[in-house]
Amino acid sequence: MTKLRQGPPHLDRREFIKSTAGITFAISATGFISACTEGEPVAESPPADPLAPNIWVTIYPDDRIQIMYAGTEMGQGSMTATPLILAEHLDADWDNVDVETVAVHDTAFGNFVFANMLYTAGSTNVFAYFKKMQIAGTQARKMLVAAAASQLGVAEEELTTELSNVVHAASGRKLSYGEIVSGGQFPAEIPEVDESEFKRPADYRYLGTDVMRIDVPSKVNGTAEYGIDVQVPGMLFAAIRRTPVEGERPVEVDDSETLKVAGVTNVVTLPNGVAVVGETVEATRTGKDKLKIIWSEESRFRKANTAEQLQEYGVAAEDLSISGTPWAETGDVIEALAGADEVVSATYTTEPVYHAQMEPLNATASVSEDGKSAEIWVGTQTQSLSILGAAQALETSPDKITLHPLTMGGGYGRRSPLRQQYIDDALFVSLAVKKPVKVIWSREDDIEAGKFRTAATQHMRGAFDAEGRLVAVHHRVAAPTILETMNPMRWEAANGKDVITMLGSENTTYDIPNHMAEHVLTDRGSRVLAWRGVGTSYNKFAMESFIDELAKSRGADPFEFRMQLCHKNPRMQNVLQNVADMAEWTRPREGRMLGLAVSGYHRSLSAGIVEISIDDGQLQVHKFWAVGDPGFVVSPSNSEAQVEGNIVMGLSAALKERITIENGRVKQSNFHDYPIIRMAELPEIETKVLSTEYPATGVGELGLAMVGPAIANAIATLTGVRIRHLPLTPDVVSAAIGSGTG
Amino acid sequence: MATFDINGKKIDVNAEPTAPLLWVIREHLKLTGTKFGCGIGQCGTCTVHIDGESAFSCLTPVAAVEGKSITTIEGLSPDSSHPLQKAWIAEEVPQCGYCQSGQIMRAATLLAENKNPSRDEIVEHMNSNLCRCGTYSRIVKAVQRAAREV
Repeated sequence: MTKLRQGPPHLDRREFIKSTAGITFAISATGFISACTEGEPVAESPPADPLAPNIWVTIYPDDRIQIMYAGTEMGQGSMTATPLILAEHLDADWDNVDVETVAVHDTAFGNFVFANMLYTAGSTNVFAYFKKMQIAGTQARKMLVAAAASQLGVAEEELTTELSNVVHAASGRKLSYGEIVSGGQFPAEIPEVDESEFKRPADYRYLGTDVMRIDVPSKVNGTAEYGIDVQVPGMLFAAIRRTPVEGERPVEVDDSETLKVAGVTNVVTLPNGVAVVGETVEATRTGKDKLKIIWSEESRFRKANTAEQLQEYGVAAEDLSISGTPWAETGDVIEALAGADEVVSATYTTEPVYHAQMEPLNATASVSEDGKSAEIWVGTQTQSLSILGAAQALETSPDKITLHPLTMGGGYGRRSPLRQQYIDDALFVSLAVKKPVKVIWSREDDIEAGKFRTAATQHMRGAFDAEGRLVAVHHRVAAPTILETMNPMRWEAANGKDVITMLGSENTTYDIPNHMAEHVLTDRGSRVLAWRGVGTSYNKFAMESFIDELAKSRGADPFEFRMQLCHKNPRMQNVLQNVADMAEWTRPREGRMLGLAVSGYHRSLSAGIVEISIDDGQLQVHKFWAVGDPGFVVSPSNSEAQVEGNIVMGLSAALKERITIENGRVKQSNFHDYPIIRMAELPEIETKVLSTEYPATGVGELGLAMVGPAIANAIATLTGVRIRHLPLTPDVVSAAIGSGTG
Repeated sequence: MATFDINGKKIDVNAEPTAPLLWVIREHLKLTGTKFGCGIGQCGTCTVHIDGESAFSCLTPVAAVEGKSITTIEGLSPDSSHPLQKAWIAEEVPQCGYCQSGQIMRAATLLAENKNPSRDEIVEHMNSNLCRCGTYSRIVKAVQRAAREV
């Protein structure tokens, strides 16, 4: 079974269709093939032709089926889950399916959540393509059944399908899909499909069962091809010395010692760094260490310091005369606060964190002599933006860029912007040396030029009426725009509504009649970017800590308080009840305490409970229970793995991770001073993912954001000390407990 | 120039004596299953066997393996049939998968010495290897499964 076809050479889908003699398809704006005749009618096409009823699936005479995957795989599993939806509706034999990653920027394949760009982000792939896969699979099946009916001389109604066969039960005859394709006799027009023709969930063979992820076998024997593994004939390597402060440039470069290193071929000055090019990786690294560079000293980021930034953001968040851009609004929060019986307020801070994807960033490019076209090999979360960004970099048109998208050694948002520095590096160096070049960042480079989850400070105000009902929550997020640095075009189109910064501050969970989340826009002090869960990982920290504070201010149990606030949200109540049952919420623990938090992600829900103790001022996390509800669960085993992975990454971020900017420089440099959680540090984690009657939504970012607030809530219950800060590193926890304040 | 065995084959490599074994394996010998993660022995993605012991190839100069025998993930079995590889598939361990070659190579030296490791022994042995996707608990389960099936 070979499902994973990655790496060069990739067939451009349209080229492929064109090169298939006899049939020519025009791809319509809606993403489906609108015409299928040019010259000869399809019915008379030679028997060896495959059947391609739409852009998504091709069925070959030898029974092989190819399904296009309009995402990219970074560990989340949608390269299996999404094509599986098509296979299910085609009644295909999954063992004979090949999945091909779309390698072009073509809005016909685009993700509607992101203006039809090919964009793998926001845990949207299964959700965004579910119906398209249903239509495409059903349409192909319909054509096969019609053709089989004429080949067998029976009525379509007498036929059923299973495992890539059309079956005529009455006569015991069956035709494989390949045989049907060989026999031709397809209708001249591609049939329309409507929802009533979709396979019923009760009849699913694959969806909702544990079909193994197609990328797994190649990841246990070293054959999975990541960007860093690409080998192009005649290529050179490059290592980059980046400007240590954003916005600076090399003013003077002394490369005399570098050029003496055996194997170093060139030194190329870039706008924001210096590249050492050579025949081996080791030569480029040795040469890089010998560069002497004087950098400019004019960037505004030279004054950036995380500690000051958090304070400045705090002033902005708490200064109610500074109005923000409303992100989500229900009722009239200002009026409700003014008329309230009791107002509670609190301010929360979160420090930046780093993606720490295990594969340091890299890209390979081969730029043409005239500098106006290029081939690039890279692990990217977006075919579209990688192509558009590369075209921008070379000042050429997107059709001049050929992309080979490779599997990623982690993404978590790091590979999502329009301009990807590692691609620019490879393009500019290849252009300069006129050869293919593989640029590999060191781990130190990856952190130094990192684009982090932003620092943020949030001010929360809550109001109770005379009857003790929570009538208002005002959530002010002081943080920079992240969209602007990811993709200026998207920021311009967003009317100030920054989904990356603000997601999670809206209230879709609780019955709070007056709620407003607003974005108090601040200057960024570091490079910033989407980080797994985007804004939810700090916005939920503030909201879920605050909900706990509100509960405690009324003397209410945090679980009961939330259940009450969810009285109009039975779906959330079910998730809460499940996790409370798993953790035995009401059972007292000797010397230990539980903490609870919820965190939806888009339309998926989750709730988590942590068990902690504090011994000699040291926080110990003993156990985490997590429950997710992403609607209909396509892949149960992978969904549990994703939620568990989110808890692990959430624990790591909440307990250990911190990026510090000092005078514009990133203080941390590698895993010794930016430690991420290790196996021995992990508490027991128990995960349950509920498959419910709601549409299938994402699991790739589900649960991470509830870890921090759950722990802070447990600490507050255990010690009476409320820590309103992430990370909860030992220094932060012992200082807070020692002083008795957060 | 260095001479050593890799995956059962004797080879000569034309590399600087100080060149990290990792880059020699990956770029000179094109065995790219062994990964680069940190370069300072903190993450374990570059784990290979040198004379049967787990080692960080990023910290090993190629001169240090002169005359020695190296095994990489490509040489662990010819067809993914090593009990650990089968267990890794059965437990569906990998997510992004980037660290998994190193994890499997690391686990292999545990099972070679200890046919029936306890959970604590597995955790202690595997603690040198990072996984950002958070597959740790499935790694433990896969090592336990492989131990049962050896």
